[in-house]
Amino acid sequence: MYFVLAALLDGPLHGHAIVGKVTELSRQRVRPSISTLYGILERLTAQGILAVDREEVVQGRNRRYFRITDSGKALAAAEAERMHHAAGLVRARPDLGTA
Amino acid sequence: MTPLERRYRRLMRAYPRSYRSAYGEELLDILLGHTDPARTTPPLKEAAGLLVNGVRERAWQAARGPAWTDGLHLGVTALSAAHLATLLPYAAAVPGWLALSALTLALVVLGRARLALPLASLTAVKMGAIGTGAVFLDATLLPVEPGFLLDHSLYGYSGLLGAAAGPVLNVAGLGILAWRGGSLRRRSLWWAPAALLVAGADPAWMALTDAAPGPLLRVTAEAAVLAGAVWAGRLTGDLRWALAAALYLAATSAAFGEHLLHQSRQDLAYWGVLALLTLLTAVVPYGARTRAID
Repeated sequence: MYFVLAALLDGPLHGHAIVGKVTELSRQRVRPSISTLYGILERLTAQGILAVDREEVVQGRNRRYFRITDSGKALAAAEAERMHHAAGLVRARPDLGTA
Repeated sequence: MTPLERRYRRLMRAYPRSYRSAYGEELLDILLGHTDPARTTPPLKEAAGLLVNGVRERAWQAARGPAWTDGLHLGVTALSAAHLATLLPYAAAVPGWLALSALTLALVVLGRARLALPLASLTAVKMGAIGTGAVFLDATLLPVEPGFLLDHSLYGYSGLLGAAAGPVLNVAGLGILAWRGGSLRRRSLWWAPAALLVAGADPAWMALTDAAPGPLLRVTAEAAVLAGAVWAGRLTGDLRWALAAALYLAATSAAFGEHLLHQSRQDLAYWGVLALLTLLTAVVPYGARTRAID
């Protein structure tokens, strides 16, 4: 999930904040269910793309802060480059009025 | 506790207990924080998400540990449950052997392969003896007639292959697990009621053309479990479900093949579905998604 990685580039966030940041960065286009987002966080953490930065207890409930790892940053950069190239295929065409 | 929280907690039971213990409260906190407090029921998107992602988490947790050992253990568990299901209608005629089969399943479910191996071996020899009309240990009156559910005797239509294939494969699998040593995971206790559900549906002679509820229930249960295995293999890219399915298919095929020339089109279609789904469990992990970003 590209927007999850993008959301964490500014520093560690907890689940609540990640949901809001993903929605904001995607201009409301990406609004996964909370459980889907958590599934993504678990998988990316298991793959070493994210890591748990710290845990806090708020109102008796654990709250994990996730941070992006170096390999996660490299992955986000590679994906951004791929999308930039893909966007360029269309943007460079004068007949579409985007050049 | 509000009705909304209670309903969220109920939906979260789709997740494994260990996951709920570790992260359930955190997940619930965010769910409640993002839901209109005036609501009494979760939004459909969140409810469906919890169910789907809970089952996904179960598949991910099941895919941990050495694949071939766990796959073999899963296959042996399925064979033990199928054998218990086969014997259940004959409880009155062979109560001791039924109890032995149930105890074997219990030990397999608990991951005690070394303890289960001698019991499974005894059962395998006895089933072979019943299939061939020989005497082993106790004097069993042949044919072994059912007390309920069925109208044909135990292995009445089978020879040695149909009677002993499943139990022998079970022993072989348990032998490998016992020889390898190490701990096996404790499997779900739901295997016991699953055996009750398909009781009496002997794959050696299912007579699908009769459309009896027992065989149809077994066909449905097998297809559903194998379809679940295909999905789990696709999700996790893991081959343990393929190994378990292959072991089960081998036992079913041996019993089925004994009457190959006399099988109806429905019976052949049934075997074809099992074989196709088993093949898919082995193929789909190679196409599993490996990209982190999509």
